[in-house]
Amino acid sequence: MQIVIVGNGVAGMEAALVVRARMPEAEITIVSEESEHFFSRTALMWVVCGQLDYPDIEPLERDVYARQRFRRVRARAVGLDAEARTLKLVGDLPDLPFDSLLIACGSRPRPGPWPGSTLGGVGHFVTMQDLEWLEAELHGGPAKAGPPNSGGHLAHTTEDSPYLPRTVSAVARGASSRRPCVVGGGLIGIEAVEVMHAAGLRPRFFIREEWFWPIAMDSKESTWIAERMREHGVDVQLEEGLECFEADDAGNVVAVKSDRGERYEVDLAVIAIGVVPNTDWLKGSAVKLDAGGGIVVDEGLESSVPGVFAAGDCASVRWFEGSRRPEQLWYTGREQGRIAGKRLMGDAALYARGAWYNSAKLFDIEYTTVGLVNMNLEGEQNFYFEERGSVRSTNRVVVADGRVVGFNFLGRRWDHEVLLRFIAERRSLEYTLEHLHEAAFDTEFVPALSIPPEARRAPLSGPAPSGVREPITPPTSAASRVASQGAR
Amino acid sequence: MDLQGQNGLVSTYRQSWRNRGLAGVLVSALLVTFYLVLYFEDKLEKVIHMRPLTDFATSVGLRNRWYLYGLLYCVLMIVGGALYLRKHGNSRYNQLRIATNVTVQVLFGFLLPFIMPLFNGPELYVSYFWPLKYDYFYPHTLQDLPLYFAAYTVLGSLLLAPIMAYFFGKRWYCSWVCGCGALANTFGDPWRHLTSKSTRAWRFEKWSIYLVLGLVLLTTALVGMDFLVGAQHPTFHRLVAGEHWDDWSLKYLYGLVVGAILAGVVGTGLYPILGPRVWCRNFCPMAAFLGLVGKFGRFRIRVKPGMCISCGNCSTYCEMGIDVRSYAQSDQSFTRASCVGCGMCAHVCPRGVLKLSNAPRGQADKKRQGLTVVDF
Repeated sequence: MQIVIVGNGVAGMEAALVVRARMPEAEITIVSEESEHFFSRTALMWVVCGQLDYPDIEPLERDVYARQRFRRVRARAVGLDAEARTLKLVGDLPDLPFDSLLIACGSRPRPGPWPGSTLGGVGHFVTMQDLEWLEAELHGGPAKAGPPNSGGHLAHTTEDSPYLPRTVSAVARGASSRRPCVVGGGLIGIEAVEVMHAAGLRPRFFIREEWFWPIAMDSKESTWIAERMREHGVDVQLEEGLECFEADDAGNVVAVKSDRGERYEVDLAVIAIGVVPNTDWLKGSAVKLDAGGGIVVDEGLESSVPGVFAAGDCASVRWFEGSRRPEQLWYTGREQGRIAGKRLMGDAALYARGAWYNSAKLFDIEYTTVGLVNMNLEGEQNFYFEERGSVRSTNRVVVADGRVVGFNFLGRRWDHEVLLRFIAERRSLEYTLEHLHEAAFDTEFVPALSIPPEARRAPLSGPAPSGVREPITPPTSAASRVASQGAR
Repeated sequence: MDLQGQNGLVSTYRQSWRNRGLAGVLVSALLVTFYLVLYFEDKLEKVIHMRPLTDFATSVGLRNRWYLYGLLYCVLMIVGGALYLRKHGNSRYNQLRIATNVTVQVLFGFLLPFIMPLFNGPELYVSYFWPLKYDYFYPHTLQDLPLYFAAYTVLGSLLLAPIMAYFFGKRWYCSWVCGCGALANTFGDPWRHLTSKSTRAWRFEKWSIYLVLGLVLLTTALVGMDFLVGAQHPTFHRLVAGEHWDDWSLKYLYGLVVGAILAGVVGTGLYPILGPRVWCRNFCPMAAFLGLVGKFGRFRIRVKPGMCISCGNCSTYCEMGIDVRSYAQSDQSFTRASCVGCGMCAHVCPRGVLKLSNAPRGQADKKRQGLTVVDF
């Protein structure tokens, strides 16, 4: 059996491992343009910080391809012949015939809409090539060695590939960045800010919205994060978007103009306004794409072409409220890869979309979210309380129809499994607060959260959460527009 | 407030002295030389006609070179501990653990045993147990100890230590009490990421550590037998417990190879090359013993299922070379005999996936299959 997988990210690699575990004879070919090895995209920031090295962010040992007999092709896939059942590779590389195909080619950074968004010194923070570029701009290069065979795909790529090396403005300037900035107040944005801060710099952080990450945060929560960023020396520019980038004669960025008419000198800019499915190469093929470019799949992750599956960031799946969009998350990519692996072998597996949860660390503030938060559900109430003792935390419980439907926590660690159980069991606010300690996941000796009596009485005043605007990242943007269907 | 955002590990890889650069190699060479002189000064004297450490120790008014060593050890633990807390002190577990460990060592590993003899009292180490302090089970040693202390050390080794390991894992000793652990986690902390995570290193460790445990059992048993029958069998006595170095007795060899070379020269001398827990991971018989007990005990690292992003911080900063990530990304709570429970994996996890726990096992420890689906 010939199985071809496009992409060696988490979805593609999980699928390949699932197939190999049961089919020792299957021919498995993994087409990877971006990198030689499977790596954790979520860990890019620690490499720039110098906290991790390139091999550290690889979840599997490098001999996995040899041990599992995965054939690896470093090239760009450029098309699909559904009739002939072949995958087309760039240039004169031979087509790859397949019995079943998995497309797990992920996302690419959403390009900046502003004039000058492609200047030298302006880039993104999504791909392995972005990582190499940002390390070069901030530190003059990698701490030890860079990724192995990082140019392995360059003979087999196209000009519109997101995996081309970027020009490093620091080289032309002869000095590493001194005045960096980040545009876009989401998770990748704050990570870029953190790596600049870790390089000893004072980044300027342009956030178009009223507060940082309104899609996930309430204003009170977000205010604390902005406060912390400022304590660390970040210039947080709220409600300030961009007008354009300005360049010097060599074509490298020297300043940004904001939509408030201000001009700031910068020598480095990271645009972090989300990602889009990396599916341009499928346009015009038989594989159906949704309006955002995601590959439309059914509950079994099969695309419009039988025997062709999609998983991870590029797959457009149906969400619980009926809308359709990709789930750009690590854990769903992994889960989808496992299901897709079964489907590649002909099993009848279904992808059961789980309830939403996520966690992160925003500077040194722990963040956990579970269930329906910031969804503007009809009649929802947000119960909120803060803690300012030896532990600082903010705690928000969303209640709709008399039962708990969501949690948003900052400052402590929580076991999302227990919180999901409260939601699934349709528990009341009273019950949930009484049993909240069961979900505590702080490290040992951290004093337990004590819940003030007013937490049970006073929902957050005003329409909560207010100020959610038209957002810039697609996965959450649709979520914010969802109203009322949630609390059935 | 720390200036490093996430935690104090930023720029680990951008400092050459922490990454086997020239400075790291020089520090290692210095440490190895120090330990060679410390242990083999008597033999060195024949060649260089001086005893550098003893001469220095007496010239500054210390009784012998071991006082000097103890003093240096304390200084390195205290300074290293302060630097450690500057980096990782935003975790309560780290604060309590390092403060306890360093205090225990300064009080019971240095002050008590070194001060008592000044007042003609016995030199007793209450914080070391057999099989790490192997000579505490040699009958001659036991005979010379005050009765209360002999009882304490036998019961401590055979009852207290394993019972504690059952309830709390071997961390109660390796990361809260032990002097080797105290130095590794303070002075040695900057090199913790150097511990090898390779499969080869793991295979070596599985053999070497239980080999040393076997050796210490054998040595203890034979030295015990010698106490009973050695007088009648002079050859046996010489081979097992001969005191002179050219007897090459088992007792002497164990002390030389395990006590001096593996624990000192290799175990500490190679901090900047192989990471700070070389001894604890590969050779310490106490770690092997408590690790085996812990396998059946309560302590484990709980993994919050489905939350791991495979970033690798936990594995990279595991000083025992455990591939923590492989468990975390497969949603599997786990107990590893080698885990000393330093807590760093949980501390550096950016998603709060890991938690050290002694609580009785429950539903949460079971491996989860698939995502949790909630019907809204």
